[in-house]
Amino acid sequence: MNQTFASTAPLQPNFFHTLRTRLIFSVAMVHVVLMGFFTWEAVDRQSHDLRQELYNKGNSLASLMAVATTNALLAEDLASLAEITRRVGRQVEVVYGEIVDIRGNVMASTRDGNIGEVIDTSTLLHDSFPLDETDLVLDLYETLNIGDRTVGYVMIGLSTQGLNNALVDTRNKGIRAIVLALIIGSVVAWLLSMTLTRNLHELTQAAGRIGGGDLSVRVTEHGKDETGVLARAFNLMVQSLHRSAREIEKEHKKRTDAERLACVGEMAASIAHEIRNPMAALINSVKLLDNQQLLASDRSEVTNIVNMESQRLQRILNDFLAFSRLPKSQIEQQNLADIINETLHLILHDPIYKPSFSINTSFDEELNCYCDRDQIRQVFFNLVINALQAMGDEGSLTITARVEGHQVNIHVEDNGKGIAEPMISEITKPFVTGRKGGTGLGLSVVQRILVQHDSTLTITSEPGKGTRASFELMTIKE
Amino acid sequence: MSVKKIKQALSIAFLLIPIFVWSMSSAVASDVHPKHLRFGVLPLQSPTKLASMFLPLAGYLTDQLGKPVQFVTSPNFSTFMARVEKGEYDLIYLNPMLYRRSRTYGYRAIVSVAGEPFTGILVVRKDGRIKSLANDLLPKDVRIGFPDPDAFAATVMTKQYLETLGIEADKRMQVQYFGSQDSALLALYSGLVDIIGTWRPSLRSMPKDIQDKLTIIAETPPQPQMPIAVINTMPDSERELLRSALAELHHHKDGERILRRMGFKQGFAKINDRAYMDVTE
Repeated sequence: MNQTFASTAPLQPNFFHTLRTRLIFSVAMVHVVLMGFFTWEAVDRQSHDLRQELYNKGNSLASLMAVATTNALLAEDLASLAEITRRVGRQVEVVYGEIVDIRGNVMASTRDGNIGEVIDTSTLLHDSFPLDETDLVLDLYETLNIGDRTVGYVMIGLSTQGLNNALVDTRNKGIRAIVLALIIGSVVAWLLSMTLTRNLHELTQAAGRIGGGDLSVRVTEHGKDETGVLARAFNLMVQSLHRSAREIEKEHKKRTDAERLACVGEMAASIAHEIRNPMAALINSVKLLDNQQLLASDRSEVTNIVNMESQRLQRILNDFLAFSRLPKSQIEQQNLADIINETLHLILHDPIYKPSFSINTSFDEELNCYCDRDQIRQVFFNLVINALQAMGDEGSLTITARVEGHQVNIHVEDNGKGIAEPMISEITKPFVTGRKGGTGLGLSVVQRILVQHDSTLTITSEPGKGTRASFELMTIKE
Repeated sequence: MSVKKIKQALSIAFLLIPIFVWSMSSAVASDVHPKHLRFGVLPLQSPTKLASMFLPLAGYLTDQLGKPVQFVTSPNFSTFMARVEKGEYDLIYLNPMLYRRSRTYGYRAIVSVAGEPFTGILVVRKDGRIKSLANDLLPKDVRIGFPDPDAFAATVMTKQYLETLGIEADKRMQVQYFGSQDSALLALYSGLVDIIGTWRPSLRSMPKDIQDKLTIIAETPPQPQMPIAVINTMPDSERELLRSALAELHHHKDGERILRRMGFKQGFAKINDRAYMDVTE
């Protein structure tokens, strides 16, 4: 049994909506955010530690200088002071070191030319972090006290270049760590998503094939995780579905066979019913014609009966053949107005039909559609004939055809006697007719032709007022 | 007034204005960095110890004079005297012998330490091998220590005293100089020498446990006390102000505390320069 996959949703989701993309993005983002946070923390912590270390080192150095220089400063031992500042100046971070007496006289300095200069000791700098962006030197000073008396000052400047370089280095390492985490996270997420979505992808493909009617499909059951369980459940479901489908198919075949047999029986009964009366008339007429005593006038009447019933039998058989051997539709672009006009012309010039009724047509200008010209002409012929027969001697027939969107809506409407409500649903079945002498195959043929055009016949009727038969044809080729 | 005179007046004004501005800025600068009076103290002891002794006095003098007084010392006696010779100090505290020398460089004594006689002392360890200065009882390898060859009481006076006992220190003993009174005392305490020459204020300044281990074995006859002298370029008014401030120190509310720090019990007394004329090297 074949079924069509009913869902209109695409089987492949948008790339950005895939579980894999979302997983990779999420894991990567988590890595970036966490690593960013840790890096920021590390840089901040290291910045604080390095600054504190430099600050402590500067203060320690200044304190040591103060201790080492107090005696020499009091004794104005310039050689000793010079030696101390020279040694201090050897330290990597030290930009300058100076010893100033209470007057503000620079007694020793690592900077050439500063010795002997007088500075304002009330404006000595003692920096604290954070420094200005342009300030690359941490300026510190230590007061040389004897008791509560100040006898001089030690000034020291430490370069923050090394600190800044270390921070930049740490920041760069952090950025590299973030990028590395991003790459590793993405790869891990990709591998994880592969594991997670491998079964899902296979399931999607399998679901598509099932939608296409292939119930023999099975998915590989990877692993024992949730997707593995899902795959096993899917296989069990498909297996069950396959079994059910086979059972349904069997059941359908049985029912189809039964229906076919019933249909054959019904058709045989209908045919037998239809031909029994003319056949009985023919048999009786032939028996009468065999009677040599039959009057000539009667013989002529009987002969007419034979002819009429023979023609009736022939018509029944032709209609039946037309119904049962309906050829495949040859769909081409046709002008529907031409087809309708041809049909009406044919009918109006047939002497069988009395021209006592009026026919109104209303078409759009561009009335091209795709159809089998002969079959649609047959449709119109049957519908118009039905309408004429329903109207009797007088009446009005209206045919309208309007283009709406990609289809032409066609209505054939009469003001005849109408069809009783219970009959409307049965009227398109073979051999069902509300007219004496009808074969009951006309509307069945119409229905079959329209089905081959992917259209349906809709009949609305009100007894005593008329009947309306509607169908549609496509203006574009599907 | 004619136009010519006005132009002359303006020209003079233009010349005077920069001078006025310069003089004002100099005045402001001098306010920011007022000239210090430099108080040079003979390096009798370590600089920090001397500072702790004399800084309160410097602070007192600053208050009294209305201008800052800077305490300074020097690495050794000779450097001190070289600076004295150059007139680098406005005010000096030194021994009588060096004062005699400083007079030739323009310094004049205004006060001297009051009360206590100025003597040198010879100190030994209580548990040391020197029990007497009798020449014949002294061991052959006696080691004697002094602060500096120019330390008057500790070196010069004690050596002179030893000579009166028939002991020529430079020949009879192994002489070592330790740079300061404290160093000499600590050298004795540590056993580096057997005997040292020093003076009482330095011994008193030693910690109690050190003092307890040491004892004075001899004391020299007194000499004029340690003077404070000022350079002769100092204005008379300032000199007199200094003299009065120093002489009245023991009457000041902080005087006792300041003097105790220096080890001078009775402060300073005005002195006649002639008292030092008999001091010999």
